[in-house]
Amino acid sequence: MLDSSVAAETPEGILLELRPAGLSARFCAFFIDELIKWAITYAAAFVFGILASVLGGMGVAFWFIFVFVLNWFYPVAFELGRAGATPGKRAMGLKVVMDNGLPITPAASLTRNLLRVADFLPFLYASAAVSMLLRADAKRLGDIAAATLVVHQRRTAPKATLDMVVPLSPVRPLAPRDQSAVIALAARAPTLTIERLNELAALAAPIQGDESRPEADVTRRVLGVAQWLLGRRA
Amino acid sequence: MTPLHFEELYQAEWQELDAQVKLILAGRNDSHDRVPIQGERVAALYRRACEHFALARARSYPRYLLDRLEKLTSDAHQVIYQRREFGIHRIRQAVLYDFPRAVRAHAAYVWLSAALFFVPAVLVGWLVYKNPDLVLSVVDANTAAEFEEMYSDAADSIGSRRDVNSDWVMFGYYILNNVGVAFQCFAGGLVFGIGSIVFIVLNGVLGGAVAGYLTERGLGETFWSFVVTHAAFELTAIILAGAAGLRLGHALVAPGRNTRLQSLVNAARESIVIVYGLTVMLFIAAAIEGFWSSARWMPLTMKYTVAALCWIGVLAYLSLQGRRAR
Repeated sequence: MLDSSVAAETPEGILLELRPAGLSARFCAFFIDELIKWAITYAAAFVFGILASVLGGMGVAFWFIFVFVLNWFYPVAFELGRAGATPGKRAMGLKVVMDNGLPITPAASLTRNLLRVADFLPFLYASAAVSMLLRADAKRLGDIAAATLVVHQRRTAPKATLDMVVPLSPVRPLAPRDQSAVIALAARAPTLTIERLNELAALAAPIQGDESRPEADVTRRVLGVAQWLLGRRA
Repeated sequence: MTPLHFEELYQAEWQELDAQVKLILAGRNDSHDRVPIQGERVAALYRRACEHFALARARSYPRYLLDRLEKLTSDAHQVIYQRREFGIHRIRQAVLYDFPRAVRAHAAYVWLSAALFFVPAVLVGWLVYKNPDLVLSVVDANTAAEFEEMYSDAADSIGSRRDVNSDWVMFGYYILNNVGVAFQCFAGGLVFGIGSIVFIVLNGVLGGAVAGYLTERGLGETFWSFVVTHAAFELTAIILAGAAGLRLGHALVAPGRNTRLQSLVNAARESIVIVYGLTVMLFIAAAIEGFWSSARWMPLTMKYTVAALCWIGVLAYLSLQGRRAR
């Protein structure tokens, strides 16, 4: 399958669809995070430089500990936060969740971020890149071991409005799949050019037995059927 | 039933659930002027929403409706099934039971890891002791000289480089360095265990070479009195990190009846507990190494007594703590 979507089943028996994020989106997120870490490091070097001149060795010690914590626990701290994502991931609309769609646990977050070292091998995150490209769910090694998934955050589809179209009852009963196809076309109509909309609507002409009518007429009638199927009545 | 009718009919319930979920997510901090959250109501609404979602999907309702219900149910799902793993109670539980038990559950890996460290260490140490020139095949001449200088009688604080002779600096440096080494030993396990083996053996060889070389040079007393106390925590922690890494590697190489993937996930979940513990051990080691081990004014008998107590304490903790039912 070309579609990369993972279904997580809940105890209530419904399937939640997770959309794993691929290499490019995650690389961008990673890059943003690295920039932020550099910025923090430079800012902190400034502060700790002043601190070291006052406190001496203690300031340097805090600096070392700070660098340690920043390097190893920057992602852990953010992933366990409410957003479930580092600033870079949030900027790219990504989020880290468990395989079953639940929020990430501290153990899993720690696992996936400590195993980053293995993902880095042999150089520049080559293992991570290969693993992400080979797997449909785009997991890096750390994700595999921690049973976590980096997913795109949900974006809701626009509601079909088109209130100006007059609802029109279909001349014959339509199968559920056909119904949803017609409604989906109506939902997309505002984003399409007139020509493309006419082309697509022509494919649906048989539902009204309209093959012989002019293009614009067919489109208006198909959208009318969509309105009727949604539940609007004249 | 048309989609619009469906939406109109159940809209109120969805909105109520959405509001409650938002409350639960947001209202954890401010306790005053908050509408009380009714758990039973949320659960009931959630189950209703799940039914609606399944129905809507089976009836091929329009995308926007499915998206809305999916977002609603998945948000509620996250709130209802989330696990809390924080808190004093959890930490106490981990210190008193989980960590030492996890170590004992991995006893075979711990022994193997210890052997991987000590066999090369003793072997190389003995060779270097017999023939000090061999140290140059492990470290370069500058490093050897640096080590010699660090433990020489002239240094006013043992074990630190000349230019950074503050206990605090070394404390910070040890944390940065040693915890990093330990994490690498663990993560190396993902390369079928090879990474862990390489890291542990390398550390063993390096430690053995330095120890043999310095002992041969007549700096043995300074060196051993320096390392022996914090080694109780540091060496043990590195060996435990190697053991956790070996567990990962073993899970990949010999998954048994599980799939390789499931085997790895199980291994990671069980061995990460060891990594929690050893991180804390390395912080303790860094504190001892920075402030206690380097103190030159301390009488040697005192140092060795404390060292013995540390070793006994660590080994007893790992082998005995939490054996009884909680």
